[in-house]
Amino acid sequence: MSWIREGELNLLERISANILKAGPMPKHVAFIMDGNRRFAQKKNMERQEGHMQGFNKLAETLRWCKHLNIREVTVYAFSIENFKRSKDEVDGLMELARQKFEKLLEERENLEKHGVCIRVLGDLNMLPLDLQQLIAKAVLGTKAHNKCFLNVCFAYTSRYEITNAVREMAWGVEQGLIKASDVSEPLLSACLYSNKSPNPDLLIRTSGEVRLSDFLLWQTSHSCLVFQSVLWPEYSFWNLCEAILQYQLNHASIQKARELHREHQALQQLEADRACAAEHLQSHGNGKPASGQRRREALLQYTACREERIQDFLEALKRKRDSFFNDLWSAGVSA
Amino acid sequence: MALLYGLLWRLLLLLVHINRALVVWLRVRLRGWKRRVWERAMAGLLLPVALAGFPDHQKTTNQNPDANTSPGTVKRLACRRSRLLSDGRSLEKLPVHIGLLVTEEEPSYTDIANLVVWCMAVGISYVSVYDNHGMFRKNNSRLLEEIVRQQQDLLGGDGSKCNVEFLSNGADKHHVISCRPTVKVLSPEDGKQSIVQAARQLCRSVENKEKGSKDISVSMLDVLLRESRNVPDPELVVKFGPVDSTLGFLPWHIRLTEFIYCRDLLTETLGFSLSAWLSPGGYWTKVE
Repeated sequence: MSWIREGELNLLERISANILKAGPMPKHVAFIMDGNRRFAQKKNMERQEGHMQGFNKLAETLRWCKHLNIREVTVYAFSIENFKRSKDEVDGLMELARQKFEKLLEERENLEKHGVCIRVLGDLNMLPLDLQQLIAKAVLGTKAHNKCFLNVCFAYTSRYEITNAVREMAWGVEQGLIKASDVSEPLLSACLYSNKSPNPDLLIRTSGEVRLSDFLLWQTSHSCLVFQSVLWPEYSFWNLCEAILQYQLNHASIQKARELHREHQALQQLEADRACAAEHLQSHGNGKPASGQRRREALLQYTACREERIQDFLEALKRKRDSFFNDLWSAGVSA
Repeated sequence: MALLYGLLWRLLLLLVHINRALVVWLRVRLRGWKRRVWERAMAGLLLPVALAGFPDHQKTTNQNPDANTSPGTVKRLACRRSRLLSDGRSLEKLPVHIGLLVTEEEPSYTDIANLVVWCMAVGISYVSVYDNHGMFRKNNSRLLEEIVRQQQDLLGGDGSKCNVEFLSNGADKHHVISCRPTVKVLSPEDGKQSIVQAARQLCRSVENKEKGSKDISVSMLDVLLRESRNVPDPELVVKFGPVDSTLGFLPWHIRLTEFIYCRDLLTETLGFSLSAWLSPGGYWTKVE
């Protein structure tokens, strides 16, 4: 079945969508698509069939999001923890992923028409090589599209993602691109797999579980969390509307909390810069206390240097990540 | 047309607020009535219970009718004391570490202290209290006083086993008295900022050539984030107040944490929600 569903909403759905769109809408929604296995059990199907239904529901949900002007969606497709499941199930899921990514590549034109950019986030080197190559093709093939974005978390856990970001920053320090004192919250965010996306506004988990299960722990610190008891393959347009309504009810307070956090973070950065600039002045000074003017200049200079360092580092990181996909793609082509 | 939809949207929000107010009113009125009546009342309201803000799963044991209105402090406290002990006995399996996430703008210190003491009395080893303004941390002495006072009121002489330890980033003093149970007062600095500090520490050791970037692992970061805290991850976080978000609460530690939403800062509500979730077959007993 296809990744892209065509088709308009029916009249009632359209009216409800328009009513909701009169209020603040989330720009980025994250889904934990839980409940495929329970659904399969409930309907006396094979687990694999449950996962297939789950994928179909994903395609339908993307269609609804498009009609609701939700331009970015992140989904939790496969956790690193899921590798612990039975070999049969893991192999089945890998096979399903292979089929889906191959199908994606067949639908290139359709994806281009709708401007869908696919990104895959996770520790991809844990996957079989052929799947990695398929993923690389899909990601590179849709890289230039910018109407809507689908981020698929595959072989992903949040702790691995955060650790990887720390490792990248340490790599930057090793290469002499940045200093340890440059490490900050925005820099860590910029080193995550999800660095090209804004933080999710809304996180929805289905099937009644009320855990985050190591999904986007850093990015959802100030997101609206909605836990719904419906099983993922049974998810409906009305469930989505209910979640969006929940978001709208929380919007003002969450915005306020985000703003507070941003201010606090900016203050901390300023203080850190001040401390570093003062240290720098002292070590290069002539022992006399510096004037206020001198201190201000030193601070501005230090901040500018730090920002330049960080820019260079982030560019180097981007090149490293791009070459990972390019190498996979060219290996796939030549194979 | 846009104007019409705008008006309809406002109407929808108004309906939701009315719905919620009705639910709260009904909850107070129907307290002690059979659950069937409650469910029928809920079905009568158009919007799903989830939106009304009451916990979904209501498989619970006996509800004690609220006996707190009787005059006479001694009798009231005796009632509360015995109820605390029976609450503890009726809960199947307690979390070792519970988080109380307060999203209200101006929470009452008495209510928070009440909840903390209830958790400790019921047998929970670690209780973390958090608000995203860092208010509890700033006013920790006031909170400490309230907790000690509530403890003395409720537990009398037994309360001396209390340990109130205030988490800090090393700058403040630790008020450590004895072992368990332990109360931790957290603020946003303990969340992302502590992860950043751990990252900085690791990068500094890379800068000093003490280790390579490839040596950095999940467990290494985990140890650093746990070293200064020395508590297990919270199994359960109870969120109080109107905001449906973690608001920066310990992002690293809530990997497998279950969340319960409570609308008000009452021990009755907490006890009720906790027993519903901890009953056999309740979700939190499942392993990931």
